[in-house]
Amino acid sequence: MEQVKPTRMELMKKKAQIKLAEQGRDLLREKMDALIQEFFKILSSVSDSRDELEQVSRAADQALMIAAAVDDPVTLKSASFATRRSITVDITGKNIMGVPVPVIEKKRVSKSMMERGYGIITTSARIDETAERYEVELDLLIKLAETETAMRRLGSEIQMNRRRVNALEQILIPELKGQAKYIKNAIEEREREDLFRLKKVKSILERKKKKAKEKKAVG
Amino acid sequence: MDWGYINARMRGMKSRLLDHHTLDNLVLQPDLDSLENELEKTPYREDLIEARGRYSGMPAIEHALRANFVRTFRKILDFSKEKEAALYISIFLHRWDIQNIKTVLRGKNIHITNEEILECIVPAGELDEVTLTELVRQPDMKAVIDLLATWSIPYAKPLTTAFPEFAKSGDLGMLECALDQYYYEDALLAVKGTSRNNAMIRDILSLEIDVVNIKTALRMIRDGVAPEEAGKFLLPGGRDLDAKKLDRLLALHTIEDALAMLAATRYRFLTGTPETALRAQKISVIEKQLERYLVQEGVRSFVGDPLSVASLIGYFWAKYNEITNIRVISRCKTADFSIENLREELVYV
Repeated sequence: MEQVKPTRMELMKKKAQIKLAEQGRDLLREKMDALIQEFFKILSSVSDSRDELEQVSRAADQALMIAAAVDDPVTLKSASFATRRSITVDITGKNIMGVPVPVIEKKRVSKSMMERGYGIITTSARIDETAERYEVELDLLIKLAETETAMRRLGSEIQMNRRRVNALEQILIPELKGQAKYIKNAIEEREREDLFRLKKVKSILERKKKKAKEKKAVG
Repeated sequence: MDWGYINARMRGMKSRLLDHHTLDNLVLQPDLDSLENELEKTPYREDLIEARGRYSGMPAIEHALRANFVRTFRKILDFSKEKEAALYISIFLHRWDIQNIKTVLRGKNIHITNEEILECIVPAGELDEVTLTELVRQPDMKAVIDLLATWSIPYAKPLTTAFPEFAKSGDLGMLECALDQYYYEDALLAVKGTSRNNAMIRDILSLEIDVVNIKTALRMIRDGVAPEEAGKFLLPGGRDLDAKKLDRLLALHTIEDALAMLAATRYRFLTGTPETALRAQKISVIEKQLERYLVQEGVRSFVGDPLSVASLIGYFWAKYNEITNIRVISRCKTADFSIENLREELVYV
């Protein structure tokens, strides 16, 4: 408080700062509410996708296990060589309440049996079904990567906003209010002192005047 | 050396195959370790101990099974001086050669490292490890095919013929298809003689061709591939399904229609495929029934003429069935499969 100048000008400044901080806090709160709404919308779709992914992943693992058991893992791995290809994804972005989130555009990973590259004659439908399930899993995984990244970014933005609101609410605004109160008190105190001093001077002057009158009367 | 001797040896070897009770005991083991301990009490002990020197857990079991399978048939090849017995085993061993060449070509096509390709090579056929390693060392697919041709390895022929089409389309499936078609054509050609043994081998090969063709046709129907295109992937020489029947099969639009058509053949058992599998278009369920039928027919050969190749064919399929069953049990143990589900996956013959 020592650095604060207890002047009327300073008080006006502090009051303006408090008003601005309170406006900022309200705006941030509104933004946070909107972000939370968006977050929960994405959260429900992420949680559905996650459940679906878990199911698909379990089915894919089981299909792989059966294919490896019946067709021999060496045959299975060899077939996987025929179909190994990279997946090209195009990542752009969009804004949700000022938060940049990614948009992943990709071609469908799922392929038809003829597109996979391995010979049809001595491979089995077990291998087809395993490949199919993993392709579906990959499709879901890429979709989930997009929504989950958006969710994480929104989450961290909400957290950051909450910290800002808390900082405004718990630290900055109380501090400014404290300073304003201090300045107000100091000004009032000074006014009281001034008043008291004036009264004192007035009484001294009156006393002097009275003494001068008495001397005149005696003389 | 005569068929009587081979038959006696085959019967002796068959008696050492795991019976129903032993397989059941393996199914009931709680985990992979106890399963390995149980397997050590079987004829797989030697292979398992050897495999454990390099691998552990599931890879050790799989390696041991593969080694046992190959060792068993090499042993039969050693004592079978009868031409037709050796012929049947050679036909079987050629499958490994085809598989290995495909692995090399697939690896070269996507430019993976030689070490990665060699991991998937099983030198169990006529092409030995040195030959296969040299093939793997080649810089590209063309060089692999050229080397096969230089060494006069017969598989170069279908590959050389199909290579221009591959070079145009980039579809590796075409090369593999040519290789597979060559394998079956060559196998049928090798047993084209009129002897009883040749006829028996031809019979089981034709049955296998039927099974492969039905599986291919069903997969094509499910994926909606045009009949003219799908026809390229079929094998000639089937037992029940000739080219005309296969064309009619490929022209159908649904799996249900295809199974209805097959009801008029020896594959009528496929009409009993569960409704759920048909709705989900799970060809693997139908495939399993076909494979079970093929194994059953193969194993049934054992009761055929003892002075023929029949016992050898029967033993081959019984051994194949046993190895597959042990692999399924072991894999299911690593995945905590329930015993009921595990039993469903097995092929009891």
